[in-house]
Amino acid sequence: MNSIVSQSVPTVFGIRHLSPAGAWNLINLLDAKKPRLVLVEGPSDLTDQMSHIVRRETKPPIAIMAYTQKLPIRTILYPMAEYSPEYQAIRWAFEHKRECRFIDLPSGVFLAIAESRQQIDQEGEENSINVYQRLDELSGEDGHETFWERTIEHTCIPEAYLQGAREFGKQLRELTQGRESDWAENLVREAYMKRQIADAVKEGYAPEEIFVITGSYHVQGLLSDSPAMTDEEIKSLPCLEAEKTLMPYSYYRLSSRSGYGAGNRAPAYYELLWQGLSRQKPSHTTYSYLSRIAAYQRANGNMVSSAEVIEAVRLAGALAELHGYPTPSLRDLRDAATTCMGHGNFGEISQAVADTEIGTRIGALPDGVSRTSIQSDFYRLLTDLKLDRFRSVTAQDLQLDLREKLTVKSEKSAFLDLQRSFFLHRLRVLGISFVRQTQTSQDQATWKENWVLCWTPEAEIEIVEAALKGDTVASAASFQMKEDVETGGNIAAIAAVIEDAFCCGMPESVAYATSALQKMAADAANINEIAETAFRLSTVLRYGNIRKLDSTPLLPILDQLFLRACLLLPSSCLCDDAAAAIIVKGIDSLNQVSIDQEQLDQERWLSTLNQIAGRDDLNTKLSGFAAAILLERGCISNEQLSTEVERRLSKGVPAELGANWFSGLSMKNRYALIARMSLWESLDKYLETLDDEEFKRALVFLRRAFADFSPKEKSDIAENLGELWQVNVQQASEMLYAPLNKDEKKLLEELDDFDFGS
Amino acid sequence: MAAKTETKVQRLPAEQLFQKEIDALIAAEKDPIPTGWKMSPRSVLTYITGGKVGRTVITPKYIGHKRLVEIAISTLVTDRALLLIGEPGTAKSWLSEHLTAAINGDSTKVIQGTAGTTEEQIRYSWNYAMLISKGPSLDAMLKSPIYRAMETGSIARMEEISRCASEVQDALISILSEKRISVPELGIEVPAQKGFSVIATANTRDKGVNEMSAALKRRFNIVVLPAPADLDSEMEIVQTRVAQLSESLDLNAQLPPQEVVEKVCTIFRELRSGVTLDGKQKLKPTSGVLSTAEAISLLANSMALAGSFGDGTITDYDLAAGLQGAVVKDEDKDNVAWKEYLENIMKKRGSRWLGLYQECKELNR
Repeated sequence: MNSIVSQSVPTVFGIRHLSPAGAWNLINLLDAKKPRLVLVEGPSDLTDQMSHIVRRETKPPIAIMAYTQKLPIRTILYPMAEYSPEYQAIRWAFEHKRECRFIDLPSGVFLAIAESRQQIDQEGEENSINVYQRLDELSGEDGHETFWERTIEHTCIPEAYLQGAREFGKQLRELTQGRESDWAENLVREAYMKRQIADAVKEGYAPEEIFVITGSYHVQGLLSDSPAMTDEEIKSLPCLEAEKTLMPYSYYRLSSRSGYGAGNRAPAYYELLWQGLSRQKPSHTTYSYLSRIAAYQRANGNMVSSAEVIEAVRLAGALAELHGYPTPSLRDLRDAATTCMGHGNFGEISQAVADTEIGTRIGALPDGVSRTSIQSDFYRLLTDLKLDRFRSVTAQDLQLDLREKLTVKSEKSAFLDLQRSFFLHRLRVLGISFVRQTQTSQDQATWKENWVLCWTPEAEIEIVEAALKGDTVASAASFQMKEDVETGGNIAAIAAVIEDAFCCGMPESVAYATSALQKMAADAANINEIAETAFRLSTVLRYGNIRKLDSTPLLPILDQLFLRACLLLPSSCLCDDAAAAIIVKGIDSLNQVSIDQEQLDQERWLSTLNQIAGRDDLNTKLSGFAAAILLERGCISNEQLSTEVERRLSKGVPAELGANWFSGLSMKNRYALIARMSLWESLDKYLETLDDEEFKRALVFLRRAFADFSPKEKSDIAENLGELWQVNVQQASEMLYAPLNKDEKKLLEELDDFDFGS
Repeated sequence: MAAKTETKVQRLPAEQLFQKEIDALIAAEKDPIPTGWKMSPRSVLTYITGGKVGRTVITPKYIGHKRLVEIAISTLVTDRALLLIGEPGTAKSWLSEHLTAAINGDSTKVIQGTAGTTEEQIRYSWNYAMLISKGPSLDAMLKSPIYRAMETGSIARMEEISRCASEVQDALISILSEKRISVPELGIEVPAQKGFSVIATANTRDKGVNEMSAALKRRFNIVVLPAPADLDSEMEIVQTRVAQLSESLDLNAQLPPQEVVEKVCTIFRELRSGVTLDGKQKLKPTSGVLSTAEAISLLANSMALAGSFGDGTITDYDLAAGLQGAVVKDEDKDNVAWKEYLENIMKKRGSRWLGLYQECKELNR
């Protein structure tokens, strides 16, 4: 231990990445030691990016990124927040005009290792012991995050931090030595870093003038006696060609990428810790966390009194004390806020917590610095799909034919248009204004698509922004759709995402959206929403194969929606006429779905319709419509129909109900209806039974029921009735088409004022 | 003598039942003890969630949500009042009893909240015979449990607070904010000693009975007690309680096998939370509570059916009848939800569930 501070070796400062206490203690130690050379763990070929990092326009969070040029694109990312020790070290070096370098393996080597690592991982499950799990058990709290926070982040004595982090790294190393799958990689990295340090010493820096910042795990490795890497060894390292850039990062992305080094769960909270340390007042974090939650709640209309904030501060303190620590951890604070401001329900303050812990901060870079992997992926695809000529400021049309072209040789060109369509749809989903889809003349877009492509500088910016969503166009689109699903709100919106995912040719997104749809479908009670969703899914199922995608995962969910619709439908039919008009559409599309998808439970559908058709307490128009569908599908015989007509129109049934039923019945397959003599016989019998007053009543409704029949249909009906009444065709049509005389007109006008109360 | 009374009493208070454990914890105490407490907060935690002190094993009293117990204890350390809220059968009173038993060694200062609870029961009332004959005096005064708790600096319990009328709830507000009771008849004011606090319990299903005022809620730190955290702990609770029940009720049937308990608990948990246990599928929850207590009574009922009318083993038919009754209350919505559950979930679970599925489907026509 003493050798570290002795004069012959450089200072090696072990840190935890993204650790505010690390950053603060580091700066203090740098100020004390004033080294001439600062070496930072990070790909050595990325040192030139440092000048961009310290520019005034650069606002963290940012990330250093390296990516391969060849497919499949691999990336490595080094995110940095304001409180990253690395970021603060680089800034310190530039401010004090000291030399600063990255000393880890070059990015190309990391990318090559990542590639081979993936192969190894596929071959066998990682067989390392889980240190963090044991740490969780031993610390007696919820996890190592809290342990870290309590023991490390609340430390504000630089030497104590240095020793503590070093000891932790040492023990972690002893525990896992040789047992972790990346053990070998760590040794190689340490050997390389040692070589870099040795080179610096050769350049003329005295060891004590060198300050190394590295993960606490590596401290022991760097200080050990194992040899530095030789030139030959460096040459033999695998290496991929890599592009390097800086990109803006976001707190949201930091929080969603958990795992050591890559992110942390509560970036905004860590920023509060950083502020607390900078003011040398650890309690600052407690107060500002809890007051921010209170402020958020108030801004969103929830009453939170100052007394409650005070109680939360006290409770958080008591919770920390229960574990023997003076400062509350994030978990203590959150639980205190839940208890005192959320009335015991985390749900009440969950949004405030997300805002306070994660935040919405997005980093910024000077213009022209960024050339991200998604940009290069975009240009590569543009060339690949022979779309280069569309990169001009004049709008150009592009028509795609998604079918396989049988005249060409290679499979690639046979499906070129389909691939283009996938690409363009992905850009559309990402909201990149380069592409715009226009309507096709085809009714239900099957194999033809029309696009308008137009390049603008804004489009370029939009693509850089999309870098936050993913490394490639495809992964960004997938992320976007995931977000759309989360904010979707209702099942129809999610069904739209499924359609999008199909258009983009992305089966994983289809699967994700489908499972989200399933979750939401359980709560959906609106019959029309369900019907619309089922209809959309059915469309995808019917036309999905033109896009060479397997749509079968949609079958179970369609099954479920259909079952739900069947169960809900009868009770939904208990409604007024205005609602009935909408439900008619729903029933119609459900029927269409059941016809298109034979595997669905047809028996249940028909029995549901039977139930609706047969029940007397539902809206009669819907009962009539259900009967019409059954008639169309050949499930009602002539006798059944005439029995039903008689029952529905029998004396005693209010005329408006009967007529309404008839109008429902006549909404479908009129031709078949008109041809059924038995129907008109029943109608005739019904009219016979009415007395004058009732007849007038019935007339009003029957007129309405027949109102949207065409003249031809009307005269056909008249013919039918004429036949029954033994009036010949000629006479009947003469009667029908003769202009009305005065008396008749008057009678009809009277009907318009018919008093239904009587 | 003591042993004799023990056998006659149906149920002893917690501090007597677990006397040994409490004594052991007090004897081994190392941490600072808050004023008015018998042991340190950390020992209270050990008493409730279990552990070991020296050679004495401390049995866990409340299984699962250790963090909630930590929050509850910390609340009492800051001398705030504690309100435990939860569905029926989530061990609210159980927890409150054990907290007071460990903190004060006395869990008997209880007010049972009912629609008939009066303000006097919260504050104090009089021995009227003495009041008339001798006039107001301390001797004629009947102190409420809260009054006594304030005098001694200990914790009083208030059960089912939301069942009390709102004026009775309001009486608590002044006590919790002023921390003193005034007795105008005697011209005195009794300040609460350090260590005084109140643990109240309320039922979420009873919310509508007498909604607690915001003013009162603000005087409490609220801890919501959830249903058992996972299937295993719920099965454990169900199994032990069913065994106890069948013993005392002389049900002539075999105890339900593991598989049956698992099925019932699975169905209850899934319908309660509205999602399948593997978290993959969401489903429609029913209107009923479907608490652990209900699962226990369902199994006891099935045992009674099997014992009295069957061959003593619980069949799928017995179970289906019980489930139908428990899941489908009077509402049409429940019926739809149950039907959907049967078709979408249970039917697809394979042969192990087939028998039950068919019986349920038969019954739910």
